[in-house]
Amino acid sequence: MKEDNILTVDGLCVSYGKFNAVQNVSFSVRRGEIFGLLGPNGAGKTSTLSAVEGLLKPQGGTIIVDGNDAVAKPLHARASLGVQLQSTSFQTELYVIEVLRLYAGIYGVPMSKNDLLGILREINLEDQATKKFGQLSGGQQQRVSLVIATIHNPKLVLLDEPTTGLDPQSRRQLWERIDAIRDKGHAVLITTHSMEEAESVCDRIAIIDHGRVIAIDTPQAMVDKHRNDPEVIAVSRRGRVTLEDVFIALTGKAVRG
Amino acid sequence: METSIPKTSTILKTLLRADLTTQWRNRRAVILTLIVPVIILVSWKGLIPKLGGPFVLSNSITIGLIATGLMGYSNSIARDRDKGIFQRLRVGPLPAWTIMGSRIAVQLGMIFLIATFVFIAGYEFDGVKLTAGGYALSYLTSLAGGLVYLSVGQAIVGGIRSPETVNATSRLIYFVFIMSGMFGELLLADAGKILHDIIVWSPYGTVKTIVAAGMEPAKWNNEASMALLVTLGYTIVFAFMGIKWFKWTSK
Repeated sequence: MKEDNILTVDGLCVSYGKFNAVQNVSFSVRRGEIFGLLGPNGAGKTSTLSAVEGLLKPQGGTIIVDGNDAVAKPLHARASLGVQLQSTSFQTELYVIEVLRLYAGIYGVPMSKNDLLGILREINLEDQATKKFGQLSGGQQQRVSLVIATIHNPKLVLLDEPTTGLDPQSRRQLWERIDAIRDKGHAVLITTHSMEEAESVCDRIAIIDHGRVIAIDTPQAMVDKHRNDPEVIAVSRRGRVTLEDVFIALTGKAVRG
Repeated sequence: METSIPKTSTILKTLLRADLTTQWRNRRAVILTLIVPVIILVSWKGLIPKLGGPFVLSNSITIGLIATGLMGYSNSIARDRDKGIFQRLRVGPLPAWTIMGSRIAVQLGMIFLIATFVFIAGYEFDGVKLTAGGYALSYLTSLAGGLVYLSVGQAIVGGIRSPETVNATSRLIYFVFIMSGMFGELLLADAGKILHDIIVWSPYGTVKTIVAAGMEPAKWNNEASMALLVTLGYTIVFAFMGIKWFKWTSK
């Protein structure tokens, strides 16, 4: 029987020297769902994601990606992942089509020039094929990085703050693309600061703070559960409780670095 | 069903293609790297009757090797690391060594190109002609010499994270190697045995010795064999330091 979870993180611990960035974090992402990891700056979101991606070696806990232990079989785990990092940069001297060819090759997906142009056509960037990545606008760069993250049809796509710096049109378009990824049966793990994004895109969310998961649920259930908490009512504005109110009540009002 | 991962040979081929394309797009820098040894060849033409063709040719090749291995390699690694290019590659299903393996393979290709360029220029401008065995052995010693500077470059990017500091450090070491190696033997011959030995057994001196000896295989002697061993020793030590200290991110 196929396991229901595409990603299982259990008791994850990540440290930088004496600083414990992630402490005993556990959650799972089901097949075909969009799972949001929310938290203030420095809460441990990117560290958690980096451990799943294999960029950090965790000090404890297990990470299972599509049945593969990410520490014991990192290459197998990474083959099931599509990744868009927070600050994406590709080889500056390569053209967009060459970057696509590079990553298709790395993931073992043979593609002809026409295949690659077809992919760029789908994201309305066919005419930018022979431009360098750095010459594209922010929105265009996001589209290219997302298409590269999904070029090998991964079972789980990790997106680290993908809408940061995007204008409303580009952001809305990206949400539609993330929805489309889910519709194809892929799971998505996304980190974001935007509560609006989490509410409209995510099926379930986890709020992480000081390296620990403090709540996991659907966005609506989380709002319903905390609607009458005095802390939530105190921070709510305009008389309507939102996910942002719940988030601020749970993580505090103080601005983080 | 177990997830399949791409073959390492496919990944290496893909990385090599991208790295060669990058090198080609940086052809102005490549041309400058090739021009410096040729300028030395032309300007030292008058020294050939006194010091011999192999001396001038080996100096030219060694200077080209330093420029490629020490400056070109370390700066490109530091720059790409700072931009997060390595991190993006590392989240793919590829062994980390393939990323550096491909880069080093391209640099070894550059070393081959430098040696060829110097041989052609040496023949055209200075009339220096080697035997077939001399050319073959010189290519091998050039590769061995190039590996030393690649490993020094690796040690620099291993020990220093900031690309600006890597650039400044590699320039400084380049200058020291050039001054001590190129002019040391000529100008400091009377400066005493210790200083002379330091110059001869420095990474510049040993590489120059093996490249020069490779050009005349019949004259290969114990000093050349010792210089080859020391060269390999430098490579192992610097590569060990560079790999051990290396961090994939500059943050």
